[in-house]
Amino acid sequence: MSFLTIDSIKDRTFDAIVVGSGISGGWAAKELTGKGLRTLVLERGRDVKHITDYPTTLMQPWEFAHLGQLSKEYIEANPVASRCYANREDATHFFVQDAEHPYVQEKPFDWIRGYHVGGKSLMWARGTQRWSEYDFEGPARDGFAVDWPIRYADLAPWYSYVEKFAGISGNKDGLSVLPDGEFLPPHEQSCVEKHFSDQMAKQYKGTRPVIIGRCAHLTKPQPIHYQQGRAQCQNRSLCQRGCPYGGYFSSNSSTLPWAAKTGKMTLRPDSVVHSIIYDEKLGKASGVRVVDAHTKQMTEYYAKIIFLNAACLNTNLVLLNSKSNRFPSGLGNDNGLLGKYVAFHNFRTTISAEHEGFQDSTTAGIRPNGSYIPRFRNVLKQETDFLRGYAAGFGSSRPTSVDTSAMGEDLKSSLMQPKYGNWRVSSHMMGETIPKESNYVALDSVLTDAWGIPQLKISVAYDDNDEKMIADFHEQMTEMLTVSGFTNIRTHDKPDKAPGLDIHEMGGVRMGKDPKTSMLNKWNQLHNCKNVFVTDGACMTSTSTQNPSLTFMAITARAADHAVKEMKRGML
Amino acid sequence: MQRRSALKNLAMTLGSLASLPAWASGWTPDSLGTVSTLSISEEALLGDIVETFIPTTTTPGAKSLNVHLFVMRMVKDCYGEPAQATLQKGIALLEETSQQTYSKPFSEGDAAQRMDLLAKLSALTDPAGQAFVSMVKKLTIQGYMNSEYYLVNVEKFNMAPGFYHGCVPVPKLAVNGTN
Repeated sequence: MSFLTIDSIKDRTFDAIVVGSGISGGWAAKELTGKGLRTLVLERGRDVKHITDYPTTLMQPWEFAHLGQLSKEYIEANPVASRCYANREDATHFFVQDAEHPYVQEKPFDWIRGYHVGGKSLMWARGTQRWSEYDFEGPARDGFAVDWPIRYADLAPWYSYVEKFAGISGNKDGLSVLPDGEFLPPHEQSCVEKHFSDQMAKQYKGTRPVIIGRCAHLTKPQPIHYQQGRAQCQNRSLCQRGCPYGGYFSSNSSTLPWAAKTGKMTLRPDSVVHSIIYDEKLGKASGVRVVDAHTKQMTEYYAKIIFLNAACLNTNLVLLNSKSNRFPSGLGNDNGLLGKYVAFHNFRTTISAEHEGFQDSTTAGIRPNGSYIPRFRNVLKQETDFLRGYAAGFGSSRPTSVDTSAMGEDLKSSLMQPKYGNWRVSSHMMGETIPKESNYVALDSVLTDAWGIPQLKISVAYDDNDEKMIADFHEQMTEMLTVSGFTNIRTHDKPDKAPGLDIHEMGGVRMGKDPKTSMLNKWNQLHNCKNVFVTDGACMTSTSTQNPSLTFMAITARAADHAVKEMKRGML
Repeated sequence: MQRRSALKNLAMTLGSLASLPAWASGWTPDSLGTVSTLSISEEALLGDIVETFIPTTTTPGAKSLNVHLFVMRMVKDCYGEPAQATLQKGIALLEETSQQTYSKPFSEGDAAQRMDLLAKLSALTDPAGQAFVSMVKKLTIQGYMNSEYYLVNVEKFNMAPGFYHGCVPVPKLAVNGTN
């Protein structure tokens, strides 16, 4: 018997454990296995193998019973999940059902989750802008949150490193507010986007550029991408189904198969992580407790280092639930800050307009990307009555319409003759929200989920700073569109839209220099438990105005490199 | 259709449709099957209604593209109970009006008579009148313009390989409204 037990423990012991298989977990898996570590990757949801497990990916639009629309029954059963723009009839199998994964909304918060191998890297919108010096210096300059323990220069080489492997398309625009990266060829801007860009250059003397978005699509695959088994993006823009070409970056198509090829990765789907085991004698974490998603049985797995990449709020949940005599209120939580200072991006408002010119032009084909207006507010100095700023997405189209007033053959013939209307443009705001102690997550003291784990209580809301920023976006964008000759300009704020739908939640386990005011050091190690690394959205000290995923990737690769060096020095 | 079978072959090669995981069962439209909330005769009548909106000419009409099945499915699955009642009552009222006006069922009328009947219902404020006609017409147009026939032949839809050009001349004929 004792032999069996010893063997069993040996079987459950690895060099490293990675919790989560999404964008950051996939990178942790790739880096740690690539450096020779036997790595266990735990994923709470089912396995999703690249191509094989994308059941809708090659379906034609007319093959869907409701042409993509969600059924009434589904919407009623899943009010939260159905509000996500990417959750359509072709992708519901990648979104968690509300009832299966309950949480407590102390304030309204739409928590969008993908519980399966690959996580949200399968359904993300793929915007990959680097953060700039202004973002990492923000808290120190503006006096909110705490100072980041790193600067852009610390991350720049790691941005390059992950960009080359993931494949990022973009244009070298030479902007300090949005540093250039290792780009594949950019997508094209439409004539109306170029027009707007030209007008902005003239009217605002280069301070408000309108550039093509940077995104994780293989516009021109390089040998490293072919080695991953990926091919050129086919411009289908059906990414939420999973891409059979590997045309966009996902853990499933890129980092996980790469990690698997090393022979060092053990991937365990259906493994819900309950907590991290803290060994008081060793003074560090020794492993994790895992609840089998189906049998509900608990098993322990052991490793020298643990990377926590469960996605921002779930990473908070796991740490809060990792209670021990040494850490009664959650692992590493001596200062009581765990779960606090959660922030996100404000996507609450949009603006639309038309252009009556360019009547003889249109676009052809599909572009899985849009134009982008980098942050131009409060960059060099504080010029408004709100902190920080916003970036904006900007897109254009030349829609056609048909006259539907008739009936019979007349109707049919007008359906065969779509007519072009004016060019239409729209822009969505992506505002930086300020991390605050009052925006927090905590464990519910009573409610648990089906796996016996306390439900997460989320208390996150907009504040006055966000309202002022929305008003400024309306005002500035209206002015910018007006001077550029657009008409029929309309703002569309949705005051009822809860935070969360941006799917850019960050913080709760923030990085910082001082253990008294932060949870993680500059290498993403828990100040008070150095062999636990947090490198997903939970680690972010502030939120920038750019999409965060590329930064999660770069931070993860950097931390993994440090972790392995420290292990080799016998420090972990 | 050749292009379609080529795609299916591609699917087989990639192993995507050949080995659906167990959790995905129920995910092909075939397995969803036809959803009928109407009797067989009402279903046939709905076929005649959509055909009246978009008739067969040298090209297929709405009924031969099974647009009426799409209308029923959308009303049942996506629109909810009041819309289902509107559909049921509208069909009954249409049949009743046809008997009163032409002393024969809607389906036995010619195209002009059928259009006249739909116009008559459209003039009524009764939900079984105007709301019924506009709902069925809207869904008929949506179903037709998203059918394989329309997307492939009119829209020249092609899933892959794709492309994007940001600025091309508007096709001359389309500007003039003759496509």
